[in-house]
Amino acid sequence: MNAPDRYERFVVPEGTKKVSYERDTKIVNAASFTVEREDHTIGNILRMQLHRDPNVLFAGYKLPHPLQYKIIVRIQTTSQSSPTQAYNQAIDDLDKELDYLKKGFEDDKNRYEEKLRQGY
Amino acid sequence: MSSKVSALDMPDVPMGQLPEHLHLQRTRVVCKADAPVHTEGIQYSGAYASIGVDNSVGVDSFCKSFKVKVVRLTKEEIEFDMIGIDASLANAFRRILIAEVPTMAIEKVLMVNNTSVVADEVLAHRLGLIPLNADPRLFEYLSENDAPNERNTIVYKLDVSCKKGSPRVTVKSDQLKWLPHGSELQMDSHDISSKAKSYTSFSCIQDSLPEFSKKPLGVKFDDIIIAKLGPGQAIELEAHAVKGIGKMHAKWSPVATAWYRMLPEIALLKEVTGADAEKLVKKCPVNVFDIEDIGNAGGKKAVVANPRTCTLCRECIRGVNEELVELRRVKDHFIFTIESTGALSPEELFIEAVKILEDKCDRVISELS
Repeated sequence: MNAPDRYERFVVPEGTKKVSYERDTKIVNAASFTVEREDHTIGNILRMQLHRDPNVLFAGYKLPHPLQYKIIVRIQTTSQSSPTQAYNQAIDDLDKELDYLKKGFEDDKNRYEEKLRQGY
Repeated sequence: MSSKVSALDMPDVPMGQLPEHLHLQRTRVVCKADAPVHTEGIQYSGAYASIGVDNSVGVDSFCKSFKVKVVRLTKEEIEFDMIGIDASLANAFRRILIAEVPTMAIEKVLMVNNTSVVADEVLAHRLGLIPLNADPRLFEYLSENDAPNERNTIVYKLDVSCKKGSPRVTVKSDQLKWLPHGSELQMDSHDISSKAKSYTSFSCIQDSLPEFSKKPLGVKFDDIIIAKLGPGQAIELEAHAVKGIGKMHAKWSPVATAWYRMLPEIALLKEVTGADAEKLVKKCPVNVFDIEDIGNAGGKKAVVANPRTCTLCRECIRGVNEELVELRRVKDHFIFTIESTGALSPEELFIEAVKILEDKCDRVISELS
């Protein structure tokens, strides 16, 4: 009765932005990004990639409530970078890594099928 | 009690290289008798800054250390290793394979006649769970505003009856017939002058499209029992299948299941010989250990022959007085297994999952300056 519709988990409604940004008033170089209609799948990966960046001092994500389908990513960086820059850099790095991963998988799958065909 | 050594005489901690125990802590999960230890991944780039070791991982170092190895590939299942990725990536792939790779499944069921013991909605639910042999990449999503046409719907018909006096009939999934012409039922129209409209508006026969003419769109498995009919009962219905993802309903999940585990690593803390070695080898139900003969004296030693089969039953560390074996898991080596329900082959499923993750990343980029 109170459960939201299933498509709410991934369909962004008209008028709301997918990603919104809020600077932290009390700490320099810190910001929160609210990503609508996403969950742990992308949140944990983003957090992991942000940790790898040497300019990032703090990176974390949370789901404020399991029935509200959004994540809040909080980033604090050193003065040499900004949270937006760290966030965009993390996504770019992820894109490159996923490309490489896909190519690596296809190559190995072709190699395996070749070996099968040759009867080893 | 070891002799006391002056702090100035102790060997230097090698700068630029992690000492043994820290390397173990960073790269292995140790499964002790009660709980695993060192489970968190240390990704923070400054974690070992005081020793002078840089823990950051850039795209180049990822590309250099990443490896994939396919172990087994059949039409329904794939088992492959991914070395060099993090647990969050592995989990993301598992989540996407289960819930976000699209498939085709029956969504709307138009009942004409159902006199069986199975209620209408139960029958419709069962029909939705039947895996269909349709490639979802050739179809588009059907939203509420769209009309069902040959590009977003597949229509099936089920028409079975059991005559009075004949034995009971089992309705199996091979009796679902594909209708390439579209829906045969006609919608009620209050306007007498207009032509009767059917529930779907196919502009051309689905069979004539090149993708479907060679591979007919049927069900994947012929022997799924849908219902059972007694004498005098009949079922006549039309089912429309649309594209969807597992997040909406589990019937749209393309995998029977998909799971991963970390590569097991077994370390013998001290040499186990003789009768103890035999006992250790017998304890393990999956034959991780094996006996090796040493020397001419006929002594036996236990060695780790097959660590990959370890299932963490912990029999080898249960009830022992002294620690002989340490069970470890390698933190960045994942053994993935994907079992497909049949619409897409398992390797295609994984490639689709990577594409979906890339799309997600692109959508999440902030458009702010």
